[in-house]
Amino acid sequence: MLLLISSGFSLSAFGQIQKGSGRYHNQEQIGTIMKDLQGKYSSVVKIHNIATSPGKRPVLLYEIGTEINNDTKANPAVLIVANLEGILPLGSEAALSLAETISAKNDYYKNLTWFILPSGNPDASERFFGKPLYKDSRNDLVVNDDQDDQTNEDGYNDLDGNGLITMMRVKSPEGEWLPVASDPRLMKKADPSKGEKGIYKLYSEGIDDDNDGKYNEDGPGGTNVGLNFPHLFKFFTPENGLFPGSSPEAFGIIKFVFNHPEIAMTFSFGSSNFCLVPPKGGRAGSVDFEKISIPEDIAKQFGADATRTYSMKEIMDMVKPMVPAGMDIDENMIASFLGLGAIVNPQSEDLVFYKKLSEDYAEYLKKAGLNGERFDPEDGKDGSFELWSYYHLGVPAFSMDLWSVPKPKEEKAAASGITLESIEKMSKDDFLAIGEEKFGAFMKESGAPPQFKASMVMEGIKSGQMTPKQLAGMMKQMPKPAKDENNGDPKEKAILAFFDKIPGSSCFVNWTKFNHPSLGEVEIGGFIPYTDNTPPQIMADSLIKAQIPWIIKLTEQLPVLKISETKITSKGSGIYQLEAWISNEKYIPYPTAMGKKNRQPAPVICILDGNILSFLSGKKRMVIQSVPGLKTSKITWLIQAEKGTSLTLKLNSKSAGNDSKQIKIEE
Amino acid sequence: MKSIICLLILPVLFLFSNVQAQDPITMPLRFDHYYTYDQIVTALKLLNKTYPELTNLEIVGKSDEGRDIYLITINNKATGAPSDKPGVYVDGNIHGNEIQASEVCLYLASRLLENFGKNDKLTEVINKNAWYILPCVNVDGRVHFFSDPNDPSSGRSFRIPMDDDKDGLVDEDYPDDLNGDGNISIMRKKDPFGNYKTDPEDPRLMIPVKPGELGEWTILGEEGIDNDDDGKINEDSEGYLDGNRNWGYSWNPPYVQSGSGLYPFQASGIKAISSWLINHPNIIMVYAFHNAGGMFLRGPSIKVAGELPAGDISVYNYLGKNNEQIAPGYRYLISWKDLYPTYGDFTDFTNNLIGTYSFVGELTPNNTETYSGKSINTPDASSNMLQADNNQERERLKFNDNVVQGELYLPWKKFNHPTYGEIEIGGWVKMSTRLPHPFMLQDMVHRISAAVIFSAEQTPDIKLEITDKKNIGKNLYEVTVRLSNSKPMPSMTYLSVKNNLYPKDILSVKGETIKVVSGGQLTNRYSNLVLFKENKPEIQFCQVPGLGKLEYRFIISGKGKVSIDFESRKAGKRSAQIDL
Repeated sequence: MLLLISSGFSLSAFGQIQKGSGRYHNQEQIGTIMKDLQGKYSSVVKIHNIATSPGKRPVLLYEIGTEINNDTKANPAVLIVANLEGILPLGSEAALSLAETISAKNDYYKNLTWFILPSGNPDASERFFGKPLYKDSRNDLVVNDDQDDQTNEDGYNDLDGNGLITMMRVKSPEGEWLPVASDPRLMKKADPSKGEKGIYKLYSEGIDDDNDGKYNEDGPGGTNVGLNFPHLFKFFTPENGLFPGSSPEAFGIIKFVFNHPEIAMTFSFGSSNFCLVPPKGGRAGSVDFEKISIPEDIAKQFGADATRTYSMKEIMDMVKPMVPAGMDIDENMIASFLGLGAIVNPQSEDLVFYKKLSEDYAEYLKKAGLNGERFDPEDGKDGSFELWSYYHLGVPAFSMDLWSVPKPKEEKAAASGITLESIEKMSKDDFLAIGEEKFGAFMKESGAPPQFKASMVMEGIKSGQMTPKQLAGMMKQMPKPAKDENNGDPKEKAILAFFDKIPGSSCFVNWTKFNHPSLGEVEIGGFIPYTDNTPPQIMADSLIKAQIPWIIKLTEQLPVLKISETKITSKGSGIYQLEAWISNEKYIPYPTAMGKKNRQPAPVICILDGNILSFLSGKKRMVIQSVPGLKTSKITWLIQAEKGTSLTLKLNSKSAGNDSKQIKIEE
Repeated sequence: MKSIICLLILPVLFLFSNVQAQDPITMPLRFDHYYTYDQIVTALKLLNKTYPELTNLEIVGKSDEGRDIYLITINNKATGAPSDKPGVYVDGNIHGNEIQASEVCLYLASRLLENFGKNDKLTEVINKNAWYILPCVNVDGRVHFFSDPNDPSSGRSFRIPMDDDKDGLVDEDYPDDLNGDGNISIMRKKDPFGNYKTDPEDPRLMIPVKPGELGEWTILGEEGIDNDDDGKINEDSEGYLDGNRNWGYSWNPPYVQSGSGLYPFQASGIKAISSWLINHPNIIMVYAFHNAGGMFLRGPSIKVAGELPAGDISVYNYLGKNNEQIAPGYRYLISWKDLYPTYGDFTDFTNNLIGTYSFVGELTPNNTETYSGKSINTPDASSNMLQADNNQERERLKFNDNVVQGELYLPWKKFNHPTYGEIEIGGWVKMSTRLPHPFMLQDMVHRISAAVIFSAEQTPDIKLEITDKKNIGKNLYEVTVRLSNSKPMPSMTYLSVKNNLYPKDILSVKGETIKVVSGGQLTNRYSNLVLFKENKPEIQFCQVPGLGKLEYRFIISGKGKVSIDFESRKAGKRSAQIDL
């Protein structure tokens, strides 16, 4: 994967993460920055207060555009949210910076409204600036985590007084952990099948404040706003909240979104990166509209066969004659009636644009010099904002995690000296020059399945069945080789390697003896919180500046619908056929395939006005169901009108633009 | 009723009535008429004024159209604060047209209050329980059902304008009362290619043609015109947001289930009631009344939720089977299995997230409008929903003709329709079919209230006793404590225990001059088997089973006063003291 680290810095410039000062801003500072920007561009910037967190902090959202004083908007909009999980300060900075960039340039906002929420989980986000430093995604709702007789009675304790919550390790007969041989700072779980026996028990830093035998099991913290959205919400977990939208922050966002049907795309700065890695499928239980089983009792009523499957179209054809005249049924009613349940995997048509745009993004990063190898971002989580946006709103949902530690070079420079990136660029001859033996070694390193033989591949390339680029693409899809557990977690190693190279910086507190009141002699140490997802602040600006323009580029791909052409054909006797082609000028389809299924995106309406004597076919208002990217959809009317009549064809949409055209009927 | 019929397939044949409302409302409340929303408010205020010591009237929140949602609490302060008693919550009319639910609620309140201090059983349930009665959830829906033309199944929705037909307009094509009689009836047209012919047994009814026969009628659906000129009739009326699909547990978006709302708790009334419920965690029993069909439905509402824990099923079976006896014609059923699955409904919310036992009461069995007195062969919930049952319809027409003197059915009358030309309009009036005729109300409200009261009697009643105190030397005492429950309902549901919904009930031992050295549950008092709790033995977490007991043993060092306290979220507080 790609590395997000600029090459131009002198290493000595990296500083240690400094909390509460410098590049990262706390909630109060964010509020001030927002107010200042609003003051500076008051005619195009407005601030909405959409919720108050349990910690009594406002949840503030920018609106940037030319219609800030209009209740209903003609322009489409995008919604950018940041740091809903409250542990990615860089995300908030990116959102603030984006707002600044957008409001400074009329081109960016004249045809598009920007809703930008820099800090969606202000309670949790504030912890980054507090002492001691620890990472926790939950807002300040008071919850009895351990279900005892008290709340918030046993949080972390900064026992060594260094201002950081790290780990405690203690030798114990029940120990399950071992230091990693190659770097004894790191710990790994002992694997008895390899003859390893655990030595240490691991705890987070703290004491058993309430004497219940558990450590740090009920600190402050309630709901993780970033997991409190309605798609695939998980109940009865420590941080998701009581029900989807139970946190005022998430409910405020949800409500705001549905009050703004002009939102055509959402974007989130968080833990996933849908720009780089399209949303994943493969979940069990998704509805396949081509293969629907009809339960026996309903099959009887439909006159259907419960033992076979039907396509949605077949079922529609079956049910339509049973419905009284004047009553309309659609796929959703059938899906609901049959209890088909929710769609949980991305629609294959949508993955086409996700994939294309992720390739474009990879190219873009390469140009920006940010194409080193990095760790995969996290998947979109169940209950997350980005999954909810895609599945419930039916809009393209993108996200960015902004930074990950680079993969250390030594892992990449495998024995064979070959990388997927190098193969990608090779010509046929370059590739064949590698030779079967060396390529075979590379395949082994990459964890290719044994039935996938080097000789086969060489033959395939030679015969032109596949290009080296296609091969690299294929190999990228293969499961990654199992990580070498003996050497500890690769990401932890990468974090150490990254920070070890930066003089004066640190990501790790070395294990130091401490006399613990109930555990006896322990050692306190481990990773400094946030070092896994937050770069040294001096890197923040360049990371943000390099990546933010991509969001603007994405918005340029959003569907814009126009009446591209109209045609009048006389059918004689004052009868005319009017054809109109509605085109999507941009790459992303209107709506997404998911949007077609959930019918949530606001419809596009064509209205034909003028002195029309009668409509023989077609109606005055026609709904355009969809217009694929860079393609057209056609509507046809048959009307009766006088020669010389002027007609106006209007195209109205909430999220894909408006247009109108004058048409004159001439023989 | 949680009816698919009106959602999907059949705008079944339907109705109105000339039922006279009582005006003004006076005490004692009468149950020979239906209450308008304003009359419900008046009645609640009267109950509150007449019984100020026993009641508290509050506004839980406002509806989407700004109306107040009232709730009356009934509690005897002399026996404790409401929050310290097992709460019984009863509501109704979440679907705007299912109005008789509110009369049940009003009757239940007045039955309890009027008999406090007179009838022992009724006095006992006021002393023991906190009663929360919210007669009308969908206040806007009720107002519109009374004031607007409707059929018995229309007007269910909450009043949030939505674009049902996805044409960019909201609520633009309601049914229309073409003949101005206050009802939305059925339109039919003479048509030799139609699918129906006149029923030879009663010319007001139609029956499907058989293969090989020419038809006589086409049924055109509910009375209305194509208001928005899109070629469809009545396709986008109020909402559609079904209040009983908009709750936050296992909610799914509208493409999965029509009427869910765009997000959980979109309807302001539903959100307000949910917050109120979360703030009243002592509620253990819930009844939500709907119409129709004569059912007491328990959860789960969806199959994937899996069956309830066995301990809870036995409680439901006990209550449900008794309800079938108390209210003849009603059946005790499982929601997803015996009716159909629903996502985001009210009782899945209360069961899973408030920790209650809940029933949905579908009032008014299908066969109550009888003429011959015999039970008509009525379709049960799972039978063919696409076909009206003409046997039952014939019986109902005789009931209409001879028992209520024609109040419930409008004979077919010609009408000149702008789109269909000459048609006929007729059928059941609004206040029929799913609603009992007012003369039958009194019987219904009483029996259903009796079922609720029976359930309240089964809520937990916990007794805390110190059964043994022994000096075992070295300044140590062995104290044995028993928690017993004389009722079938446990002190918290098994589902809540399984989900870890909230901390279990707490049994604690306190004293300024003592220390609990050890303590735990006594699992076998004869063999002295104790499950000692390793940490903090002075606090034990427990669920007291229905009609059962739990015993605990504590080893206490020191001397002096010891207080032993039981604190349950739903079963109240108990306390006992000893001197060591």
